[in-house]
Amino acid sequence: MTANSTSVVMMRRMSKRFKNVVALDRVDFEVRPQEIVGLVGENGAGKSTLMKILIGLYQPDDGEYLLNGRPIKFRTPQEAMRQGVGMVFQEGCMVQNLSVQDNVFLGHEDGFRRWRVLDRGAMRRECKAILDRVNLRLDPDTLVRELPPAERQMVEIARLLWLLKRYGAPNPVMILDEPTTVLQEKEVATLFAALREIKKEASIVLISHRLEEVIENSNRIVIFKDGKYVDQMPAAGADIHRIEELMVGRGMRGNHYSEDKQRIPAPNERLRLENVSKKGFFEPMSFSLREGEIISLVGLIGSGKEELTKCLLGVARFDGGRVFVEGKERTIRSPSDAIRHGIGHVPIDRRQEGLALDFNVADNINMLVLRRLKAHGLISPRRERENALHWVEDGRIKTPSVKTKCGNLSGGNQQKVVISKWLSSGVNILVLDHPTRGIDVGAKEEIFKRIRALADHGMSLIIMCDTLEEDIGLGNRMIIMKDGKVTREVECPGDAKPTPQDVIEAIV
Amino acid sequence: MPDSTDSAGAGAILRRVKNLPAVLYAVAALVFFVILFSILNPAFFSLFNFNIIGLAAMILLTAGIGQCWTIVTGGIDLSVGGVISLTSVIFIQTVPRLGVWAYPLCLAIGAACGFINGNLLTRIKIPSFIATLGTGGILVSFAYLISPVATSAPFVPPSRFDPLDVVNGAWLFGIPNAFLIGGLFFAAFLTIQYFTVTGRNIFYVGSNVRMSWLSGVNIVRTKNMAFMFSGIGAATAGLILASRQFSGYPTIGATYILSSIATVVLGGSAMTGGAGGVVNTLVGALLMGVLQNGMTVVGVDVYLQQSLLGALIIVCVWISFDRSKVEIVK
Repeated sequence: MTANSTSVVMMRRMSKRFKNVVALDRVDFEVRPQEIVGLVGENGAGKSTLMKILIGLYQPDDGEYLLNGRPIKFRTPQEAMRQGVGMVFQEGCMVQNLSVQDNVFLGHEDGFRRWRVLDRGAMRRECKAILDRVNLRLDPDTLVRELPPAERQMVEIARLLWLLKRYGAPNPVMILDEPTTVLQEKEVATLFAALREIKKEASIVLISHRLEEVIENSNRIVIFKDGKYVDQMPAAGADIHRIEELMVGRGMRGNHYSEDKQRIPAPNERLRLENVSKKGFFEPMSFSLREGEIISLVGLIGSGKEELTKCLLGVARFDGGRVFVEGKERTIRSPSDAIRHGIGHVPIDRRQEGLALDFNVADNINMLVLRRLKAHGLISPRRERENALHWVEDGRIKTPSVKTKCGNLSGGNQQKVVISKWLSSGVNILVLDHPTRGIDVGAKEEIFKRIRALADHGMSLIIMCDTLEEDIGLGNRMIIMKDGKVTREVECPGDAKPTPQDVIEAIV
Repeated sequence: MPDSTDSAGAGAILRRVKNLPAVLYAVAALVFFVILFSILNPAFFSLFNFNIIGLAAMILLTAGIGQCWTIVTGGIDLSVGGVISLTSVIFIQTVPRLGVWAYPLCLAIGAACGFINGNLLTRIKIPSFIATLGTGGILVSFAYLISPVATSAPFVPPSRFDPLDVVNGAWLFGIPNAFLIGGLFFAAFLTIQYFTVTGRNIFYVGSNVRMSWLSGVNIVRTKNMAFMFSGIGAATAGLILASRQFSGYPTIGATYILSSIATVVLGGSAMTGGAGGVVNTLVGALLMGVLQNGMTVVGVDVYLQQSLLGALIIVCVWISFDRSKVEIVK
């Protein structure tokens, strides 16, 4: 990369080591005025580390950092903010039970002091103006906890923008780390509309796993892999498969979802829902799931698909209708009922709902089958170990041992532990709720293969995926829901997959 | 973030030490205090004194082991004192008529108390801190109501076969019965914790209750069981106490509310739930027994003992409490 006098941020040969791990290896990175630069790479590619150096949270071991052409060294994020460089973190950081206004000015109320007392009227006016900048129209007195996640995030972005501007930086740099993970599709659109507005007066570094978004919304895409800079390209006309290849370092084009392994499900019906309904969520609907079949349940949030699976899993209850498992009518009142009838669940939030993070791999895998691991009336440590080892191998879980704490595994391996836990229990219907959420591209592919192999062995699956491509690629059949009704059922045979465009109008 | 340069320094050693299981600290503290007290007063290190410590520790052990599972599930049992008082009073009153059958009777009463506590928590959904505070008070009141102090003659142990001997004074294979009972009690709870589904579920629930529910664990039953075992533990403590003192009275259990919690904490079980267990509690009980006895043996002022013990508990939690899970401690 050549020195560019017009760049806001210029980093050269940035290196950072943690103990023996090289997190960043002589990385170059540039941010130009009024652009959105998409920074992509797998987990561990060094994106977050670089951003933390950018805002002064970490100090580089080596390298040059120029801001507006002058060498700079930030010791704290506060210093960086004064110079116009700030970040909105993935998890967000606002005080839930304070109002929007109080959060916006938290720690920066000084300018509103009159006679040692805060001028709330002026704060309110200023707050409205700040929110206006990102097209957010809401009452500054609303409590943050009452806001939907999307608006919360917009408030944070507005706040950061205001703070960066406050110290007079001519072209602030805002870093957004995975801003869309918590958002619904419509909200994502609103977010990016606001970002395009902000772009007129600032530069944005966008970190995201969702490549489609990055391509669509940024000006330039920078790709990292294993702590190294790999390549950059203009976003316009960028090829998603090419980016994925660069991120993963191996070919991924075509057959991404092992479509060639997709089989025609066995004729026997495993699950049948007859006119099941839940008031306020979805109207009476029926479908059946065959042995070895993958059904993609598709729909926006609010379409009723979430509530439908909740009812099926015993987390909520159907108001009416009948459920047949293997031809027998069943009532599902609790998760343990569902499990007893052979219905398992890989939840969207594996850390909260799928795992005991401070327990080891064996304890998590064996959890559902402890009864079966008994010898002479007591749980046998030997059989526990054997069962865990078997499923670690079966699921290709990369872990130093079965005694490793699950909290120390990567997201992909944690997900594999959750899947193994359910497989070990012998359920034959599995609901996968966004199984690749927050997982690297490489690990994603492994999960896809796993799902395919499960169906191949006769498991019946209901999946809800992060992207429509995944839904189409993995499913034998799609059931599309909208506003509580089934709008369409689409066959997705392995050799003749519909395109997202074919089905999108049934969804939105 | 640490740099590679200081990985061999004091900071790294401290971090490594902090990563050790909490129970090892308790063991280290136990060894340290035994040596310390033995140096300060050689009489401390004698079979006679160990016998005394052992007996005190057995009572703490029985009360603490029950308590530790309620804490592992994320709850607490403040009715331990009430159960101890009530069972000791009932035991002393029924033993002349029922003989050894007074033992199972009292254990059943303890279990029933725990069952009530558990259901107040799981079905009526009253936080265990409040629910057991309430039942603890009620049980002490029952103990007063049925206590014969005002109305009948003082208790006279029967002369021929004395069921109190089961706990007190009697020896088997050269070991005091109280120790055998404590050992059996410990072995039973250890077995339940490690080798039964109920025991395991108590820990799963403590670590992640929502995940446990979604995985089909019966939360109501698991928590009820934890509280029932707490009641049984407290009842056992009540029986040992009553047998040793030849009497039962309504205030006998009062100190055990806090000392049972202290025992659990000293052993390194986390108040946040999901970690710790009966082994920790055994070490905690021994440590507590050694401290209480040792401080007296080396002549620490009785009133000062309380503050030293209090300070030690704070230090223990400081070391053992896993702050990585919570950013702000409430």
